[in-house]
Amino acid sequence: MSAYVITIATLIVIYAIVVCGLNVIVGYAGQISLGHAAFFGIGAYTAALLATKGHFSFWGALPLVILISGLVGLLLGLPSLRVRDDFLAITTIGINFIVEAVFLYVPFFGGALGIGGIPRVMLAGIKLKGAAFLLLCLFFLAVVLAVCWWFTRSWAGLACFALREEEQAAASMGISPVRFKLTAFVLGTGMAGLGGALYAHYMRFISATDFSFPVSITLLAMLVIGGMGNLWAPLLGAVILGVLPELFRPIVDYRMLFYTGLLLLMIRFQPGGLLGEGSFLRRRLRLKPGRAAA
Amino acid sequence: MSAPLLEITGLSKTFGGLKAVDNVDMALYSGEILGLLGPNGAGKTVCFNLICGVYRPSAGRIRFDGRRIDGLAPHEVAARGIGRTFQIVKPFAALSVLENVLVARGIRRYGRFSRMWGSWRGRGEKEAAMALLERVGLAELAGRKAGLLPLGNLRRLEIARALAVGSRLVLLDESFSGLRHEEIARLEALVRRIREDGVTILLIEHNMRVTMGLCDRIVVLDHGRRIAEGTPSEIQHDPAVIEAYLGTKGKRHAA
Repeated sequence: MSAYVITIATLIVIYAIVVCGLNVIVGYAGQISLGHAAFFGIGAYTAALLATKGHFSFWGALPLVILISGLVGLLLGLPSLRVRDDFLAITTIGINFIVEAVFLYVPFFGGALGIGGIPRVMLAGIKLKGAAFLLLCLFFLAVVLAVCWWFTRSWAGLACFALREEEQAAASMGISPVRFKLTAFVLGTGMAGLGGALYAHYMRFISATDFSFPVSITLLAMLVIGGMGNLWAPLLGAVILGVLPELFRPIVDYRMLFYTGLLLLMIRFQPGGLLGEGSFLRRRLRLKPGRAAA
Repeated sequence: MSAPLLEITGLSKTFGGLKAVDNVDMALYSGEILGLLGPNGAGKTVCFNLICGVYRPSAGRIRFDGRRIDGLAPHEVAARGIGRTFQIVKPFAALSVLENVLVARGIRRYGRFSRMWGSWRGRGEKEAAMALLERVGLAELAGRKAGLLPLGNLRRLEIARALAVGSRLVLLDESFSGLRHEEIARLEALVRRIREDGVTILLIEHNMRVTMGLCDRIVVLDHGRRIAEGTPSEIQHDPAVIEAYLGTKGKRHAA
């Protein structure tokens, strides 16, 4: 594999991990989030600061990164998840802008210069780069997918599906809306944090614009194209939206136009996403109809 | 007489200047079907929502099995073992009929952080949920998406979910409205069977015929107040009830 292909593949896998987190929040629990890039950024900045200022190794920092991302998710989720639908969408957009502004204007976070000099990940005394780092990312993607799979089979996951479908009825069955929305939110932001840590150690330089609002939209677009609530949707969506820009490099100026068209077509003809119920891909592959998660 | 299973004393709820429920007393004893009857706007649904925790009472107490439940959130009331249905059905549309009942079966899991991470796909759970579906006559539709069911079946599904939550007490919110005659008759038979299994039932209804046929006792509300209580035949001849429903001669009933 050429270095170019490995670079694209690594970024796709990292995005897939982050979108898995978004899938838990939006796809499973039905809580719209337009600010997921903020948590991706919080993970990346935490990892970068721990590595450069705290001299932590990637492995030592990783549990902290996931914990801190989850905790910030909990803190920001507490007020946000009390509002619904459009209001939640606007609140999460707000979170994205605030977090980006904090990274950009607080000197501790490197300001406009961002944070550079992030070391590579070491494993058994070897610096991981190229294909080795891609393998590491794939390993974490597998872990995240396993966690998602297990979540959909757990009572907590079932409670989230119920909340997504009909909150009042779910509450009448003993499901605390706040508790289970927060559970999904913390799990999802923790996964975003993990993706952020991998991103920071891969790029080795990060700045606030890497985690701006358009990134949140891209993440959500990946999920929608793949099919919200489907286990494999984040991977499929990340591959499609990761590869397409490379294929269409000659018409880079029209990329946003192309994306918009693609999204509109999806929403018009395949509202459930490519892996959603009754989609042409599902029919073509003769997949069984999706279960609870679909 | 033994202590009531559900006891309501001095229950009031005001919305601004409107007294939706005004100092209502009511007792529900184990094993009975109590009807809560009244014309539209009498405060039945508000009363119901006060019991279920959707609204917080302005005054008064609600005791279930001797413990106070007023002021609890809906999920906490459910956790005490009170199942309810919704007048406007609220299925988990994208989930299957079986999964809908499984959600309700999780009632003993959702309260404890340590218990909510196990799998709901076990065979024991499935069998218990299927048994509930068989009880309400939906077993052969278990795999169907709940959103595709007609109203009559959705009402049955709601009852199955309520039974999973409240093995002792279920509150039925106008389960009969909007159904055809045959469906009403079948649902009446179902409610009777449930009572025979030892479940206590509070029934909200404005359909007189259904209430009279099913209930052991009836409480009648009008303008938020309790205007009568008694057996169906007593209620039928109660002048206050007749007035509330039909108005008195020469005097129009205020809307």
